Amino acid sequence: MPAVEVHQLAQCITCHAWSPDRTMVALCPNNAEVHIYKFTMEKWERVHVLFKHDQIISGIDWSLRSNKIVTASHDRNSYVWNHEGSEWVPTLVILRLNRAALCVQWSPKENKFAVGSGAKTVCICYYEPENNWWVSKLIRKRHDSSVTSVAWHPDNIFLATTSTDGKCRVFSTFIKGVDTKDSGTSSSRDLKFGEQIVQLDLSSSWSFGVKWSPSGNTLAYAGHNSTVYFVEDVRNSPSAHNVAYRNLPLRDLLFVSERMVIGVGFDCNPMVFTKDDTGLWSFAKFLEERKTAQSNSKYGSQFSEAFGKLYGQSRHGVNDGVDSLRARGIAHENTITCIIPLQKEGDKIVRRFSSSGLDGKVVIWELDYSTDITE
Amino acid sequence: MCLQNFPCQEVERHNKPEVELKTSTELLLNPVLICRNEAEKCLVETSINSIRVSVKVKQADELENILAKKFLRFLSMRAEAFQVLRRKPVQGYDISFLITNYHCEDMHKHRLVDFIVQFLEDIDKEISELRLSVNTRGRLVATEFLKQFI
Repeated sequence: MPAVEVHQLAQCITCHAWSPDRTMVALCPNNAEVHIYKFTMEKWERVHVLFKHDQIISGIDWSLRSNKIVTASHDRNSYVWNHEGSEWVPTLVILRLNRAALCVQWSPKENKFAVGSGAKTVCICYYEPENNWWVSKLIRKRHDSSVTSVAWHPDNIFLATTSTDGKCRVFSTFIKGVDTKDSGTSSSRDLKFGEQIVQLDLSSSWSFGVKWSPSGNTLAYAGHNSTVYFVEDVRNSPSAHNVAYRNLPLRDLLFVSERMVIGVGFDCNPMVFTKDDTGLWSFAKFLEERKTAQSNSKYGSQFSEAFGKLYGQSRHGVNDGVDSLRARGIAHENTITCIIPLQKEGDKIVRRFSSSGLDGKVVIWELDYSTDITE
Repeated sequence: MCLQNFPCQEVERHNKPEVELKTSTELLLNPVLICRNEAEKCLVETSINSIRVSVKVKQADELENILAKKFLRFLSMRAEAFQVLRRKPVQGYDISFLITNYHCEDMHKHRLVDFIVQFLEDIDKEISELRLSVNTRGRLVATEFLKQFI
């Protein structure tokens, strides 16, 4: 069983983020507050409550090096929280949005962050020391609908976005004065801010959860039509590969290595996608194994249930969905909305990661590479 | 029933069921219409943060028509108690349910489905029982009334 720890921290969690040393977790319990929990004395203790927003918080990200928390909320605002003394001090971000902010992520160098919004725009925010606030530059008129997720390329310049118009786009976010000329590679240097590099129109339905692979060569995102899209070699000659699966759609993805992706979503059980030697992606397995013996008995009971239905004796909810999930000891009982890697800085492969969902649990998973990859 | 929290794209600081607003077509999915015949049908409309199920129940004759109308009106007026029931049915249907992402957050999805199925079965049962009792009562009243002419 790869789920090593299950913590019930709230009724319902919209998003969570970990502190750089992985001892504290910041999460939003489906309202306008951010709770920071610390693991002390064998149990989780609530150490801080950050309260400044007045509508539900849709995104949290905790920077690894500078120890800052950025939050985005449906109330159109975003704050950067700085740890000063024992308090968390908020700094206002001038987002200039007139609709809800939906997602947020720090750039790899942590001098910028990106906010996706319901105003069909993406804000790239950077710090202005003279005014002591974060200002934003907007990428306008590119998206036809709300931006559901953003992901930074490891080079700190490219930004991938997914939107409810079903498209995935890659932008250049070069800001003069913030990014130095040598920060990007030669091809990204001469691109202006907000220039669209690629527009991928693969999905016929809404797309979510865009992620770059650790090297930045591969891009993956999930469509609401139960398909995951993998795009290789985005910059020069993009080649797409679609993987359709039988289960409910995914909400978020995570690259654990160049050849392995974990997807979480409405199915309550993380799914593993792997790339084989020929470069083809495919669905490998569920992270939490459904035991074969039990599934046999389940098919039997399904059959008898159908039989019963034929004779007008149908019974409801006896042997389906969450009940059977719980019986088999599956960690999450409702939709998983968020998956975060938990690796040490400099590690190339992610061994541990955490997921949170609408059932209010934070689950920490550990991959056992010797068995998980060969299977 | 894969719903999520989704704020309004058109109006500032609002969060409304998209299936009711229908302002952005890209947030709606294709509606599904299931018909047995003209009198019995079910329409399922889905969007990113809400789903609407409208049902037209079987009405064989005038009596059933009146009974269904009165009974469903009685239920709709108490819609708050049922949470997922809509106060007013969609045009052309007898009863509508509206399920939003908030319902999915604090209830199990399969239980919601069970509830709606159970609810509709009970409506059918209730209406046929009412019909029977009205018929029996009508017969009794008529017998009593006609007795005086004997």
